[in-house]
Amino acid sequence: MAGAWIGRRAGMIELEGITKVFPGVKSLDSVDFEARSGEVHALLGENGAGKSTLIKTIAGAYIPEEGTIRFDGEERSWSSPGESKDAGIHVIYQEFVLFPELSVAENIFIGEAPKTRFGTISYATMYSRASDILDRLGHSLDPRALVREISIADQQMVEIAKALVGEVKLLVLDEPTALLSEREANLLFECVMRLREDGVCIIYISHRLEEIFRIADRVTVLKDGKLAGVRQVSQMDRDQLVEMMVGRELTDVFPPKVLPGKDTAPVLSVRNLRAPPLVRDVSFDLYPGEVAGLAGLVGAGRSAVAHALFGSLARTDGAVMLAGESFNNPSPREAIDRGFGFLTEDRKAEGLMLLLDISVNVTAPAIHEFSTGVGMNRTAEIQAAQDEIQRFRIAVPSPLGDVSKLSGGNQQKILFGRWSRACHRMLILDEPTRGVDVGAKVEIYEIIRKLADEGAGILVISSELLEVVGLCTRVLVMREGRISGEVTGDAVSETSIMRLATVSAAA
Amino acid sequence: MAAGRRFRVDPSLVIVTVLLVAVLIAGFTLSERFGTLRNLMNVLEQAAALGFVSLGQSLVVLVGGIDLSVGAVVTASTVLMAAVVEMNPAWMVPMIPGVLAFGAFIGFINGFLVLRTGVHPLIVTLGTGSVLNGLVLLYTLQPTGGVPYWFEEFAYGRIGPVPVAGLVMLVCFGFVWFFLKYTAMGRSFYAVGGGEESARLSGIDSNRVILIAYTACGFFVALAGAYFVSRTGVGDPRVGEPFTLASITPVIVGGILLGGGKGNVLGALLGVFLISLINNLLNYMDVSTFIQWIVQGLIILVAVSVYVNRERKL
Repeated sequence: MAGAWIGRRAGMIELEGITKVFPGVKSLDSVDFEARSGEVHALLGENGAGKSTLIKTIAGAYIPEEGTIRFDGEERSWSSPGESKDAGIHVIYQEFVLFPELSVAENIFIGEAPKTRFGTISYATMYSRASDILDRLGHSLDPRALVREISIADQQMVEIAKALVGEVKLLVLDEPTALLSEREANLLFECVMRLREDGVCIIYISHRLEEIFRIADRVTVLKDGKLAGVRQVSQMDRDQLVEMMVGRELTDVFPPKVLPGKDTAPVLSVRNLRAPPLVRDVSFDLYPGEVAGLAGLVGAGRSAVAHALFGSLARTDGAVMLAGESFNNPSPREAIDRGFGFLTEDRKAEGLMLLLDISVNVTAPAIHEFSTGVGMNRTAEIQAAQDEIQRFRIAVPSPLGDVSKLSGGNQQKILFGRWSRACHRMLILDEPTRGVDVGAKVEIYEIIRKLADEGAGILVISSELLEVVGLCTRVLVMREGRISGEVTGDAVSETSIMRLATVSAAA
Repeated sequence: MAAGRRFRVDPSLVIVTVLLVAVLIAGFTLSERFGTLRNLMNVLEQAAALGFVSLGQSLVVLVGGIDLSVGAVVTASTVLMAAVVEMNPAWMVPMIPGVLAFGAFIGFINGFLVLRTGVHPLIVTLGTGSVLNGLVLLYTLQPTGGVPYWFEEFAYGRIGPVPVAGLVMLVCFGFVWFFLKYTAMGRSFYAVGGGEESARLSGIDSNRVILIAYTACGFFVALAGAYFVSRTGVGDPRVGEPFTLASITPVIVGGILLGGGKGNVLGALLGVFLISLINNLLNYMDVSTFIQWIVQGLIILVAVSVYVNRERKL
């Protein structure tokens, strides 16, 4: 699919020798970048490689210390994002800028609503023009619907539609598929293709390599604020791309798989678990030392299974045994006390206590352990956090540092420290590498391997098939609240998982 | 970033201390009587009411809530205590724990409703406060009841030069400070305020923490009610009214984050001193009470905008 771009055209955007310095950090170091009209240009790099800074420089949100920006053939120096927008640059950030209580059309035309001759908003014109724009994107969506009532994927379309109100020459998409299901992502790709055919220059940022191969023509890779290379996507393979980003080979990304002992008793045994509406009927066993996967599309009920097991979602039915003893209707407290830890999907809302320091975040499930009766043993607590920091080689200056200031990867490792410290029997890891750069991913994979080697049963929930396939010796696949099948050993592949995730097992 | 340092001083504590020192210096310069031990001890005595109420408010704000019923609880406590004791003076002694239990019970109801209904605490406590105020005013429109003379000792008594009420307040603050900093349950307050869902999924019983916070708040607020009964000898159906909003000022100026999870009751105590000293100084300067409101308002605006800007810089 890639490689639709043919021939030489002048760059729509050309950056030369861009340097941007923040106190103490050279975020961009003399970077050249060029993207053309009618091209999907992927921008790749680990977190902190300088992608965001580059995008913000293009958008005029940052003013570089050195270097020149040429846009559409003219040398420009933006002094505000408003200027670049007027010139035809539109950036869609990961966090949407939408007003949930306004309609789709009102959001699309926010700030530039069509007027009647009396100067009031012409809703008729607004709705029909909104429909036209959505048609151009190939997306059917009621312009009168309230944004809070539509899906994330539709909200993304509204963001893109906003760009098409004026003339857009350059569209930047920052991790647009992070929250989308496979099907929704496909719709997004179609829409991106249409815009490309219209001659729009598209800069596409994503952590998901498979997407780059699907839709991008060229790719620019940044590493540590410097340009690591520019390539035609069609002349690259995944391994080479990863190597450019992380500076190591893909075979080094996943640690070797280890099969758990054959005749051990399961650490967790689940029979006919129900927690409607998301969990309808789930049964499986998890063994000590095993890294099993729980796959399925977003909405299939994977996280709900985890919550129902952990006791943070009420079960209506089902028999669960933990280490051979009955484990019915527990509270999270009871789960933790019995050695069952749960690394949640949303580390900011459900994992970390962002206002508190690192040590407190590490010891949170076990604070009673540090209570001396009349007070807290801070020294022991700080030592415990320090031990985890060393054990997982977390790059933080002190256990008393603010957890909110750490990178995503380090925050995640702090949570690994928390759970592996408190719970030795089993761990459920829900999206363990979400929003984490490739380098930190590799380290997290090693941690997972290590914890399994120490005897914990581990259930990995992930939307990234590459990750499930790379880590798990056995994968349970969910569809609409039920386990639709299981693949083991060599049968674990992206294709076999996707088949079970999408097609009815009976068909 | 405070890398590697073992102890970190909360910047808001520094700011409120600086303000406090500024007021003291201004007081010493502007008024001869302000700086006397006698006056400062009087301030400590008078600060007790605001202190009790703000201490309660601090706990609720720390877990991410807010209590707008505190004024009504102060009022209801005074009326309940004075009315019951007037009917039967033998009840004076049991009514001391009795009125505290009453406050704690109202607090518990607040917490229960917040958890059960999922309605924002602002609205829940506005509601309970309004109901309570209405009940009191149905019962009496005038100051009512009476207590034995000896109960005055709580508000006016002195141990050496030190006022009993001020001492009780300091002990309460000290106790809560220790509780928050050095006990597992106290730690849970910060965890719940800093991320209720995260805390819950870390095995912390968030509901219990929230219930305890509101209950303790009611307890300390009723203590302020008992203080007023001791001070005036009667139950006054309007005495609590100004405290609802006044209780929030020291909490915010003392650096407790509205929304919870961050701050320290030491800051709230310094905030109480700050407000009390300013009011005392302005009294000596013989200015209108309304000027006191203006000054309080300005302090909130200045202090909080300084905190916010510091956060941004970091």
